[in-house]
Amino acid sequence: MLKNSKGGLAKVLKTVNLTKKFGNLLVFENVNFHIEKGERVVIIGPSGAGKSTFIRCLNFIEFPTSGEVYIEGQKVDKNSDLPKIRQRIGMVFQHFNLFPHLTALQNVTIAPIKVKGLSEKEANEIAMHYLSKVGLAERVDHYPNQLSGGEKQRVAIARALAMQPDLMLFDEPTSALDVEMIKEVLDTIEKVALEGMTMIVVTHEISFAKEVANRLIFMADKRIVEESTPAEFFENPKTDRAKRFLNKIVNI
Amino acid sequence: MHIGYNLSAIFGSIPFLLEGLPLTLSLTGIASLLGIIFGLFLALMKISQNKILRGFAAVYIDAVRGTPLLLQIMIIYYGTPIGAAFPAAIIALSINSAAYVAEIFRAGIQSISKGQMEAALSVGMNYSQAMRYIILPQTIRRVIPPTTNEIVALMKDTSLVMVIGLSELVYKAKQIGSATANFFTPLLIAGVLYLIFTIPLTRYAEKLEGRFSKGA
Repeated sequence: MLKNSKGGLAKVLKTVNLTKKFGNLLVFENVNFHIEKGERVVIIGPSGAGKSTFIRCLNFIEFPTSGEVYIEGQKVDKNSDLPKIRQRIGMVFQHFNLFPHLTALQNVTIAPIKVKGLSEKEANEIAMHYLSKVGLAERVDHYPNQLSGGEKQRVAIARALAMQPDLMLFDEPTSALDVEMIKEVLDTIEKVALEGMTMIVVTHEISFAKEVANRLIFMADKRIVEESTPAEFFENPKTDRAKRFLNKIVNI
Repeated sequence: MHIGYNLSAIFGSIPFLLEGLPLTLSLTGIASLLGIIFGLFLALMKISQNKILRGFAAVYIDAVRGTPLLLQIMIIYYGTPIGAAFPAAIIALSINSAAYVAEIFRAGIQSISKGQMEAALSVGMNYSQAMRYIILPQTIRRVIPPTTNEIVALMKDTSLVMVIGLSELVYKAKQIGSATANFFTPLLIAGVLYLIFTIPLTRYAEKLEGRFSKGA
């Protein structure tokens, strides 16, 4: 397991009784969650458990139905300055969501330029730094449709990092990838983790969870069922629900 | 039916007919430009979160698309204080075109995947930045073919302004017909003049449509 390189205790984000419904359909309820600076939390669980919707509620891409979200101690709701808050929370999506009309470089520079007001030169420097970090310095002038799935996702990671966020959200970042591209993306996320980035990762990749996470949350049946270290969870699950889940997936 | 034998009179009248062309073209050009600008705002209103804006756009679009353009031209010219025929024609044609363009743009904006807006918001853009830098640039490529078709339709519709006395192509052709007692030939020539503009525009739209549907 990786060491927590910035051992602070400041709560980057906290939720209290967070609940989301789509109409009458309950997605998750009463989720009490927190993450501290430098922590790497993996959320795992069966499909339909509400994992993705939960992390989408953390940067208000989706609005929670009830409950509270606190970011660095400040309560955030739909009346908050959400663009400002989202600048501090990077997000990587399952389907990449790169901007198809922009090159890889422009995908990364557009927000620093238009949102932060950086000059093109400054933004290019930052973008090149992060695109090199994700191993794509030679592909910067390519458009998304000229990149492989793995490359797209790495550009998306660079795009989020270029805003220099305090927290990164990864929403099933490898679920839409061909098998042979999963590793390059996971390695990239691990590299970001090693540098001390606080992150929440929704994933089905068990070996990644074991290696990178210092806390694991098991969500099922629309709530948090179990919370422990990855080692504990995979070797000694406490609940029957977790045992059933692990029985289904581990013997692959 | 009398089909013209007096060829020299017919050919002699072509310059007179051509005098109607600048009016047809300027009505088409100005009204389509205004229609596109106004149509874009209507489209943004129709997808906005604000109920009043959305309601206004919906009523406007339904009212304009559900009534004859001829009626709209006459309402603007006879029913409002705008005394002059040319501005009245421009206003009526722009109002009409905007409603059709708005629906093209709305469909175009809504055809962009939801993930694009989410990604734009996630990097800290506000709604209008996301629209301006991410959604609309992608929409423009998709709406160029149907908008070109709309301009073609508008060009043909400009002939209706003859009812308020504007001497565009069809009006001129009819005048020649009255003077020479031969309507068929000048009206036919007017038709050919429309085709010189509408066929290339239609072909251009089709070509773009083909290119975009190949997933460019």
